[in-house]
Amino acid sequence: MSEELILELKGITKIFPGVKALNNVCFQLRKGEVHALMGENGAGKSTFIKVITGVFPPEEGQIFLEGKEVKFKGTRDSLAVGIAAVYQHPTTYPDLSVTENIFMGHQIKKGPVMDWKSMHKKAAELLGRLNADFDPHAEMGTLSVAQQQMVEIAKALSTNARIIILDEPTASLTANESKELYRIVKQLRDEGVSLIFISHRMEDMYELADRVTVFRDATYIGTYDVNGITTADLVKAMVGREIKDMYPKPKVEIGDEVLRIDGLCRMGYYKDVSMFARAGEIVGLTGLVGARRTEVMESVCGITKPSAGKVYLNGEELKVKCPKDAMDAGIVLLPEDRHKEGLILTWGLGMNVTLPVQDELAKGRIFNDNKRERELSRDLLESVDTKAVSIFDPASSLSGGNQQKVVVAKSLAQNGTKVIILDEPTKGVDVGAKAEIYAIIGELALKGYAIIMISSEMPEILGMCDRIYVMCNGRVTGCLDIAEADQEKILNLAMLEKGKEAVS
Amino acid sequence: MAGKSGRTISATPNRSFLKTVLSWEGALVVIFIAVLVAGRIMSPSFTLDGVMFMMPQHLCQLFIVFPMAFVLIMGEIDISVGSIACLSATTACLAANAGLPLPLVIIICLATGVACGALNGFVLTKWPELPPMIVTLGTQIIFRGIAEVVIGAGSSLKYDSDNLSPFATYLGPVPIVFIVVIVVAALFMVLLSRTTFGRRLYAIGSNRIAAKYAGIGVNRMRFIVYALAGLMAALCALFLLTQIPAVKSDEFGKGFEMNVIAMCVFGGIATTGGKGNLFGAFIAGMTIVCLRIALGLVNVNDNVITIIIGVLLIVSVLISGISQILARRKLKNKT
Amino acid sequence: MKGFLKKITGNHEVSLAIILIVLFIVVDILSGFTFHGINNIGEIFKNNSLTLIMSLGMLCVLLTGGIDISITGVLAFSGMSVGMLMKYNVIKNVPLLFAIAIGIGALCGLLNGFIIAKGKVSPIICTLGAMYIWRGLATVVFNGEWASGENVAAMSEFGNTAGPYIILAAAFVIYFVVMKWTPFGRKVYAIGSNREAARISGINVDRVEIAVYTLMGVLAGLAGALSVSLYGSAQPTMQDGKEMDVIAACVIGGVSMSGGRGTVVGTLLGGIFYAVVYKALPLVGLESIWQNLIKGVIILAVVIINVVSQRLSRRQALARREI
Repeated sequence: MSEELILELKGITKIFPGVKALNNVCFQLRKGEVHALMGENGAGKSTFIKVITGVFPPEEGQIFLEGKEVKFKGTRDSLAVGIAAVYQHPTTYPDLSVTENIFMGHQIKKGPVMDWKSMHKKAAELLGRLNADFDPHAEMGTLSVAQQQMVEIAKALSTNARIIILDEPTASLTANESKELYRIVKQLRDEGVSLIFISHRMEDMYELADRVTVFRDATYIGTYDVNGITTADLVKAMVGREIKDMYPKPKVEIGDEVLRIDGLCRMGYYKDVSMFARAGEIVGLTGLVGARRTEVMESVCGITKPSAGKVYLNGEELKVKCPKDAMDAGIVLLPEDRHKEGLILTWGLGMNVTLPVQDELAKGRIFNDNKRERELSRDLLESVDTKAVSIFDPASSLSGGNQQKVVVAKSLAQNGTKVIILDEPTKGVDVGAKAEIYAIIGELALKGYAIIMISSEMPEILGMCDRIYVMCNGRVTGCLDIAEADQEKILNLAMLEKGKEAVS
Repeated sequence: MAGKSGRTISATPNRSFLKTVLSWEGALVVIFIAVLVAGRIMSPSFTLDGVMFMMPQHLCQLFIVFPMAFVLIMGEIDISVGSIACLSATTACLAANAGLPLPLVIIICLATGVACGALNGFVLTKWPELPPMIVTLGTQIIFRGIAEVVIGAGSSLKYDSDNLSPFATYLGPVPIVFIVVIVVAALFMVLLSRTTFGRRLYAIGSNRIAAKYAGIGVNRMRFIVYALAGLMAALCALFLLTQIPAVKSDEFGKGFEMNVIAMCVFGGIATTGGKGNLFGAFIAGMTIVCLRIALGLVNVNDNVITIIIGVLLIVSVLISGISQILARRKLKNKT
Repeated sequence: MKGFLKKITGNHEVSLAIILIVLFIVVDILSGFTFHGINNIGEIFKNNSLTLIMSLGMLCVLLTGGIDISITGVLAFSGMSVGMLMKYNVIKNVPLLFAIAIGIGALCGLLNGFIIAKGKVSPIICTLGAMYIWRGLATVVFNGEWASGENVAAMSEFGNTAGPYIILAAAFVIYFVVMKWTPFGRKVYAIGSNREAARISGINVDRVEIAVYTLMGVLAGLAGALSVSLYGSAQPTMQDGKEMDVIAACVIGGVSMSGGRGTVVGTLLGGIFYAVVYKALPLVGLESIWQNLIKGVIILAVVIINVVSQRLSRRQALARREI
C-alpha cells in the first residue's frame, strides 16, 4: 500500500427531498488499500457510495481520481474510469444467466450482434479466478445469495475495475461464506485493486481493513488507522456518545410453561423442532443466517403450515390455520422485515397499530370506531416512547428504531397476549435506539409475557436471554442456559451439521 | 400513559377545509359542475327532466364501478365483468322465457353473476401466484363463449316478458335506476370508508404481506370482492335488460370493464392499489354519464365522446403524476 | 433419459412445441392426412398473421413489465388512414402505404411510451386511454366511412401474393435476432427482470421503454396495413377487442406478465396454438361456435398448469433438501 491517493472526495453535499443525506463530507482512498466505511444506519454511507458511482450526482463538492477532477453523470461514467460497486442487496437479474449478469451493460460484441461464446468463456475465467464452482450458464435466480455476490464481484472484475466498493457484503452470508469473501477481498487487494468496504460487523473491519472512515448523521467524523483505535472509541465515534448498560435486563420471576413446540416439521425447511417458553422468560433463538429460525416461528404463528408436529399453549394443543387463529390464541409475531411484513408505510402510525385489532374495537364488529382506535394507538405509542408528533404521521417518516417501536406497540394492541415472538428486533436499528428496544423487551418480560427473540447478534442474545436455543440447517442443535452459555459454545452449536460432532 | 421521556403524541386529526377543496375529489366536483353548466349552455333540452329522462341507458355501468373500485384498491383488476353481465342477462332471458316468475328470474340472474365472480375468486385464491389480468381475461372469453353457445353466434335472445317494466319507470322525474344506483353507492361508500371490511381492503392494497401478518384473511377478502363484482355485474345486466330487452353475445356488456376501470381511475383510484375513494369514482362516473347526455343532445358523434374520455383519462393520471414530481422538486428546493 | 425428460417438462417452449406437434399429428391422422398440406399450414399462419405480428411487439412490452391494450385502436387508425388514402386516390403505391401505416403506428406508440416513461403513468391506464382515442379517431377523422372492394384493390392484390408471409417471416427472424443477440434486446430483458438494477448499471430505462412502446406501435401500424390487404376492407371497428388475443398468445407462449421472462419462439408457438386447436375442433365433433369458449379454457388451463408444475418442481426440490 502506498501513500498515493487514487480517489479523493471533497466537500460532498447531497440533498434529498426533506433531508441532507450528506453534508460536506470528505474521503480519501489510497492505492491498494482496503478502506472500511462505518456508521449507523442513516449516516449516509449508501448515499455516499452512490455519489462515488455517479448514481446520485452531488449538489456540491468535487471528486478527484488520481489527482484529476472528474464528474460522473451516471454509472456509465464511473465504470468507464474503473469504479465498480457491489451493492448491499445483490442487484442482479434473476431471470437471466450468470454470464449475462456479469456482462450486462458492457457485452462483448462481434459486429452488431453479441458474442455469447466468448462471453461464456470469459465469465468462466472470472469465476475461476474467484474459485467459484458454478456454471456461467446457470440462471441467476437459482443461486444462493453468496454465489450471487460472487457473480457481482466477477462483474466488477469484468470491467477491469481499479476501485471496487462493497456495500455490506457479509450482511447475509454465513460464517464460512464470509471467510471465502475475506479471501477474495485480500486476493483482489494483492492484485492492486483498491477497495471500499462498508460493514456493520467489527470483525469484518479488523479482518480486512487498513483504515476506517466514520460517518455520523450525514457528516464526516474522522479517518483512523484500524490498528490505532479501540472498539469502544470507534463505537463512540459512530454513536456520538458512550452507551452504558446496553442490556437493561430486569430480574423476573419465571413462571409456568406457556408455549411448547413438539416435533414440528416443515418439508424442506426444518425438522423435529421442539422447544418451550415460560411466562416472564426471554428465550433466545439463534443460529447462522439460513438456519430457518424465522420459518419455524412463522409456522407457529400460522403464516405457513407445518407438515407435522404439535404446538401447545398453556398445556392445550393449539390448532392454527391462519395468522388470526394464532393471534386470537395469544401468540403475536413481530416480523423481521418491518417494511415488507410489519408496517404499511403509507399509513399513519395509529392505523398501523390498531390494524390487527380493528375488529375487536369496531362497533358491532363492523363499523370502525375511530375514536377508540386513536386513543388506544396514542396510548400504546406513548407507552413505548415513540418519537413522533402525531399518530397521523406516515410510518415511512420514522427512523428504523422508531418504526420498530410502532411494531411493538402494534403487538401490544390486543388483549390476552401470552407469547410475543420478536424476529431480529434490532435489525437495522441504530445503536442508540437499540438500548431503548432492549429496555422495552425487558419491561415486557416483567409484565409476564413469554418472549421468544430470534437474533443473529451474539451480544444481544447473551445480554438479554434467560435460555438460548441454537439452530443449524433446520434443526435445533442445542439449548443453553444463560449461566453456561458463551459465544464459543453457541457458535459450535450453530455450525453443528447433522451427523457431525461438535468441534470443541 | 406517557412514556418515560414524557413525550406526548397528538391524536387529533388535522383536517383542513382548503385541503379538501384542493383534493382530486374537489377538482372532480368542479369538473362535474362545469359539465352541467356547459351542457345547459349548449343545449336547451339539457334540463333536470331531460337529463333524468336520458339517464337510465347510461347509468347501468355505474353499478360495476363500485365493486371494480374495490378490486382496484386491492391492487388487482377484473376484466371479466362485461362478460359476466352478458352471461347473467342470458340466464335471465332463459328463465323469463321459460315462464318463471320475476323474483325467480332475478335470483337466477344474480346467482349467475355471483357464480361467475366466485369462479374468478376461486381460481385466484387457489393459485394466488396467477396474475388477475390473465385469469379474468380467460374467464372473460369463457363467460361470453358460454353465452355464445347458448344464444348462437350473431343471433339475439329476446327477453319475452314485460315483467321488468316496473324497473324502467320513473318516480316523479327520477328514474328507478338512479335511485337504486344512489342506494348502492351509499352502501358501498359506507362499506369502504366506515367498516373494518373497507379498512382491510386498503390494507391489502397497500401492503399485502403486512396485511397477512396482521391477521387479515387476504384470500377470503379477495374471494368476496370478486364474487361481489360478479353480483354487481349481474345487477347491471338486469337493469340493462329493462332498457334493451334482448341479448347478443358479442354486444351485450361489451367493453364495460374498460369503461368502468376508466371511471374509477378518472375518479382518483390508483391501479397500483391502496389509494382512492368511492366518492371520487362516483362523481367521475356521473360526470362521464352527464357528458355523454350533453354531447348526445347536441348530436355529437359517440366516438367523439370516446375520444374525450380517453383524453380525460390520460390527462387526469398525468396531472397526478406530474404534481407528485413537482411536489418532490419543491420539497428538495426547500432544504 | 431422466435429464432429457426434465428438459422437456421443465421448459415451457419445449413442452408447448411437443403438445403442438402431437396435436398436429393427431389432427392429421383424424382428417385422413389432409391437414399437413402446405396450403393448410399457410392458411393457419395467414389467418393469424395479425395476432402473430403484434404479439412480437407485445412480447417486448410484457418483458419490460408493461402492457399495451391500445394496439387494435392504433391498428384501426392506421388501417383506416391507408384505406381512405386509397379510396380518395391520394396514394395508390402499396409500399408507400405500408410505410405510412407504420409511420402512424410509430407515432402512436411513441406517444404511449413517452407518457408511460416520462409521465410515470401506469401502462394499462395510459394505453386504455389511447385505445379510446385512436379507436374514436378512426371513426371521427374519416366521418365513419368505410373502404372496401374496388377501393383497396391494390392492397388486396398484395394480400394474395406471398407478401404477407414474407413480412411475417421477416418480422420473426428480425425479432429473434434482436431479442437474443443484440444489446437492445438484452436491455429489454434486464429492465423486466430488475428495473432498479438496470438503472444502476447504466441502462437508460426510460429510453428503452419508449423504444419498446414505439416498436409496438410500428407493428400495430404494420398490422393495420396488413389487415386492409388481407381482408380487402378498412372499417373503424376492425379487429376490435383482438388486443386480448395478442396478450393471450404471449401468455400461452410462456411470457410472464410481471416481466423478464419470455421468448420469440414461445410467442410464435403461443400464437398458432389456438389455430391448430380450432382445426381440431370439428374432428372431435364440436362446432365452430365453441371456439371462443375453448379459447378461454385454453388460456386458463395453460396458466394453471404452469403454476401447478412450478409448485410441483418446487416441492420436489424441497423434498430433496437435506435437513
